[in-house]
Amino acid sequence: MATSSAPGPDDPENTAGAGIDTTVPHSARIWNYWLGGKDNYAVDREAGDQYVKVFPGIVDIARAGRAFLARAVRYLTLEAGIRQFLDVGTGLPTVDNTHELAQRADPASRIVYVDNDPLVLAHARALLTSTPEGVTDYVDADMRDPAAVLARAEATLDFGQPIGLMIMGVMGHIPDDDEAQSIVQRLLAGLPSGSYLAMYDGLDSVSEAMTEAQEGYDDTGAMPYKLRYVDQVRRFFDGLEFVEPGLVRCPEWRPDPSQGDAGANAITLAGVARKP
Amino acid sequence: MSTVEPGDELPVGAPGPTVLRMMLGNQLHQLREAAGVTAERAGYEIRASRSKISRMENGRVSFKERDVADLLTMYGVTDEQKRAGMLSLARQADTPGWWSSYSDVLDDWLDTYLGLEAAASVIRTFELQFVHGLFQTEAYARAVTMLGHKATPAEEIDRRVSLRLKRQDLLTSPDPPRVWSVIDEAALRRPVGGRSVMRGQLRHLTQVAELPRVTIQVVPFGSGAHAAASSSFSILRFAEPELPDVVYIELLTTALYREKREEVDHYMEVINHLSTQALTPDRTTRFLNEITRET
Repeated sequence: MATSSAPGPDDPENTAGAGIDTTVPHSARIWNYWLGGKDNYAVDREAGDQYVKVFPGIVDIARAGRAFLARAVRYLTLEAGIRQFLDVGTGLPTVDNTHELAQRADPASRIVYVDNDPLVLAHARALLTSTPEGVTDYVDADMRDPAAVLARAEATLDFGQPIGLMIMGVMGHIPDDDEAQSIVQRLLAGLPSGSYLAMYDGLDSVSEAMTEAQEGYDDTGAMPYKLRYVDQVRRFFDGLEFVEPGLVRCPEWRPDPSQGDAGANAITLAGVARKP
Repeated sequence: MSTVEPGDELPVGAPGPTVLRMMLGNQLHQLREAAGVTAERAGYEIRASRSKISRMENGRVSFKERDVADLLTMYGVTDEQKRAGMLSLARQADTPGWWSSYSDVLDDWLDTYLGLEAAASVIRTFELQFVHGLFQTEAYARAVTMLGHKATPAEEIDRRVSLRLKRQDLLTSPDPPRVWSVIDEAALRRPVGGRSVMRGQLRHLTQVAELPRVTIQVVPFGSGAHAAASSSFSILRFAEPELPDVVYIELLTTALYREKREEVDHYMEVINHLSTQALTPDRTTRFLNEITRET
């Protein structure tokens, strides 16, 4: 090749990353399956079906999570005046992704998606594209390294202005409780006063069937997901001021009748809180 | 979906008859399964073959209203409202797309493809040899068309080129599909139509990539690519949750359609792999500029 600057596939800055393992189930693809998406393979559908067989409520949880994301972004944009979002753990695109919701309220909204999964990043770069007025950026980083996440986000977000930190059902990928707490605290520490945390997460010991289904799931080869207790989820919000109605069951957080009863029985916890 | 009058021709960007056929076919398939009727028996009922039933259920052929009525009766659908709804769908699905006025240069397989393309919400493509039809300049399209039709009169070449360019109106229609295209570097290095035509094509590609719903990624020679990616193909996705993705593979004289889940999964796996091996969209733009300078 003539150009010395021709990109090589070995440089992680140039390509979306390594290949995709389709021999084991994959968390983002299983969620896509539960949400009725088409971006999943046989291994994912098997793992997803197995989970549903033991705990059918997971489909409700998946729907309720997306519905909560929509209500949280609407609250943050329309009532809290937030125009910048840091979305950690993007997942595969679905309907009403964070930037679409935010840019519907204000087309100039700026959104940074963070994930470290090559499949998710390739989809995000291709499909989660911004309005001309706003910006979307995609950061290939592991949330275990909050300093790197914040540093990369700084290229797009103005850290002098409040930021909505979205952590939707991903903290269970960090099994160690102290590490999980520390990640959220360090991310929040980098955000200015007036920023918000919006989060939902799965609960342990609420449904025996769910705990059992989760154990089965963790044995499939997919990245295990640790369910937590109410107090542990509450601790993620330490130092923040909850907005009404506080930390509640996902469908009970500022319900919107126009969403229908999407996931009405979900047993996940959700909250939005402000950094003073 | 808006209703159409008989005799209308659908504008570019309208869902087109194909997706209506697919929806109707999908419903007929479910009704037939529920009624426990084999495709052979259903075919016999409407004086057609088993494969005709299969093509109908895949939305590949148009429906005669009488055939649909006979099938509904056979499947035990007596609810008048439901029958009327499906018969109306059959009528709408018979409305020709904008491309019907190109019937003189339109092969059957392309007719089907244009219907799918117009109906898709996401089009993913992998191009090994040529720049995708939706992204071609007139000069490049002419050069490609001449390759396949050396002895064809100039007038027909014009019609074929004109059809190809008209297709591109889809990209700027009010609700365009997302087009996510992965192109092998080989397709960009081969100077189809000569260097000047190719330079124009490469510049055009850079501009098309700026469209809000178009994503282009180049797989550079240096990439390991994917062993299974031995031909160009497209995967068409439809917004309707019940409609399966369709894989489209163009051959020299015909085209293949694949929509069995296992087969689609396989192509999806290949294109996902290619998308992660390819340059990111941003890096692709810079790379296109470099190649243009070298062409």
